[in-house]
Amino acid sequence: MAEHSSAPRYGFLIDVSLCIDCRSCMVACSVENEVPMHSTRIWIKETGVTGTFPDLQRFTGPYHCMHCVDPSCVSACTVSALQRNEDGIVTYDRDVCIGCRYCMYACPFEVPNYEWEEALPLVVKCDMCFARLQEGQQPACATTCPTGAIKFGKYEDMLNEAYRLIEENPGKYVNHIYGETENGGTATLYISPVPFEELGFPIAGTTSTAFSNRLVTEGTPLVAGAMLVGLSGVYLTIKHQKEEAEAERREAEQQKAAGEEE
Amino acid sequence: MIQRLFRELRTMPKFIYVLLAITAFGLAIGLYRMVVGLGVTTNLSKSFPWGVWISFDLATVALSGGAFTLAALVYVFHFDNLHAAVRPTVLAGLLGYSSVLVILLFDLGRWDRFYNVFLHPNFSSALLEVSWCIAAYSTILFYELSPVLLENSRWRRLLPIIKKFTIPIVIVGVTLSTMHQSSLGTMFVIMSPRLHPLWYSMLLPVFFLVSSLAAGISMVIAGATISYWLFGRSLKPKTLAKLGWFVPWILGFYLVLKFGELIIANELHLPFEGGLYTFLFWAELIVGAVIPIILFAFKQVRYSRAGALFASLLVIAGVVLNRFDVTWFAMRPVDGQTYSPHWMEVAILAGVVAAIILVYSLVARYFPVYEETVAYQRQPRTIEQRRLEEAHAGAD
Repeated sequence: MAEHSSAPRYGFLIDVSLCIDCRSCMVACSVENEVPMHSTRIWIKETGVTGTFPDLQRFTGPYHCMHCVDPSCVSACTVSALQRNEDGIVTYDRDVCIGCRYCMYACPFEVPNYEWEEALPLVVKCDMCFARLQEGQQPACATTCPTGAIKFGKYEDMLNEAYRLIEENPGKYVNHIYGETENGGTATLYISPVPFEELGFPIAGTTSTAFSNRLVTEGTPLVAGAMLVGLSGVYLTIKHQKEEAEAERREAEQQKAAGEEE
Repeated sequence: MIQRLFRELRTMPKFIYVLLAITAFGLAIGLYRMVVGLGVTTNLSKSFPWGVWISFDLATVALSGGAFTLAALVYVFHFDNLHAAVRPTVLAGLLGYSSVLVILLFDLGRWDRFYNVFLHPNFSSALLEVSWCIAAYSTILFYELSPVLLENSRWRRLLPIIKKFTIPIVIVGVTLSTMHQSSLGTMFVIMSPRLHPLWYSMLLPVFFLVSSLAAGISMVIAGATISYWLFGRSLKPKTLAKLGWFVPWILGFYLVLKFGELIIANELHLPFEGGLYTFLFWAELIVGAVIPIILFAFKQVRYSRAGALFASLLVIAGVVLNRFDVTWFAMRPVDGQTYSPHWMEVAILAGVVAAIILVYSLVARYFPVYEETVAYQRQPRTIEQRRLEEAHAGAD
């Protein structure tokens, strides 16, 4: 159950200060997953050009599935096509998905996309290159990144590295590791020289939206059971009252008739 | 046989042909969508993965709420004098739910494996709850309607058996309805980052359930009044007035909940910020709740066909706007990309709606839907009567 989720085994650490917007990660993703460039599972978020000439700035960062500890998409998926496995990877079963697209609304990071141009489309979502991991390789985007902006490894190592980088480079990064607590914590972690809102990262709460969802959906069978009992009770009570009233009326009529006969 | 069919067709009112044409066109576009996919035929995008179809589904389910409200009032709470309204409402409900199921099939990206809803259920998903309940409840509505279809057929000896199980089936149906009317609201509980705070609430399931009660009753009143004018068959004004009596209480409760939630969430400043969202919020509540509460509170309005129809239409408009707000207008776009439906989306929708009206008209024509109310038929007025009435009106 998602409530007792363990910390992720693997993690990404993405350093926005190192990204040069070369988009090699997107090409690698496209090749690895055999998908066209417009539906890669990784893409670039950016601040746009800021500042006044000649002091212009532009920051970019690769963006893909955060692999939440308590993923909203997993709790929303109608047919359990989305699952979080024991390594903390949020996987997608392309043979089960019915294409309801609820996950696209449920994800607070606006990650899942859809193959809109296909006749029988599927959801587009990073699976941490699950197949490559099984062969002992790193995800395609992390292997390809020429500047080391996308690092991949054990989750604890990534988190410690993030803390170390922020501590050892005072003033270089904002004091926030995006993903450490966002939506209840995620396997993908970011550090950045600019606030994450400026990069267009969604502002997510520290509790997963899956929690409030479960709060309601898991109480439903109880409410349904209570309703069945309650409605049956109401039906039988009113029926009984009506029958009694009817019996009394008949009795009164009989007595009246008997009285008249005498 | 074919000759007889043509003869029947010729006796039909002309609007049947219009409905047939719209249905056929919608069906053709629908088949095209199945072949080429969603990209060409819809304006759905990453920003708005759901569009006007989902808004329609939610509104239709809410308006079909009359079927379970009435079933509960009549069978469970023994309001026997409302019994005459059950059949037309159950028929309308069944057709409403069927249209939702058809539209959902067009909406599913992988409609070819819709059955996975039953094979791979995820019980923490609100959408799963909705789909199971709607599937089960449609079956129950069909059961509730079956006496109407069987009454004049050779299968009529099944009627006593069907009748025997009506009460338990109705109770299960009312429970299922309560569940999915609220689950439709639960679907949005997970979307706190997307849905505007004026609409987002943990209480959305309760809001949806309560507003569906008001919408359902209003649909019964509006439907009965329109069928009075169209077919000359309807329910007694007293029955309708009795139904209308419930509406102010339900809507009042809704208003208390809605503003109570805003106060507790410390969001009471939001309805006064100005702009589109403020407008939509007040439009919903004033048109759909405040004015109908005042109108239905008057006995004269409840007993007047035109008055009750007007008040009911306001409630319906308010609830429909609410469902469109939650699914579409108040949903924050991703990357600023907005949505308006593709003409093919509208054409498919129009086709399904036309098919529903068509089937309703045909069933009402050939089956005893209004049987219990046949005594209350509008008599064709004679010229003398009309003159008298006009003279009377002039004197007023």
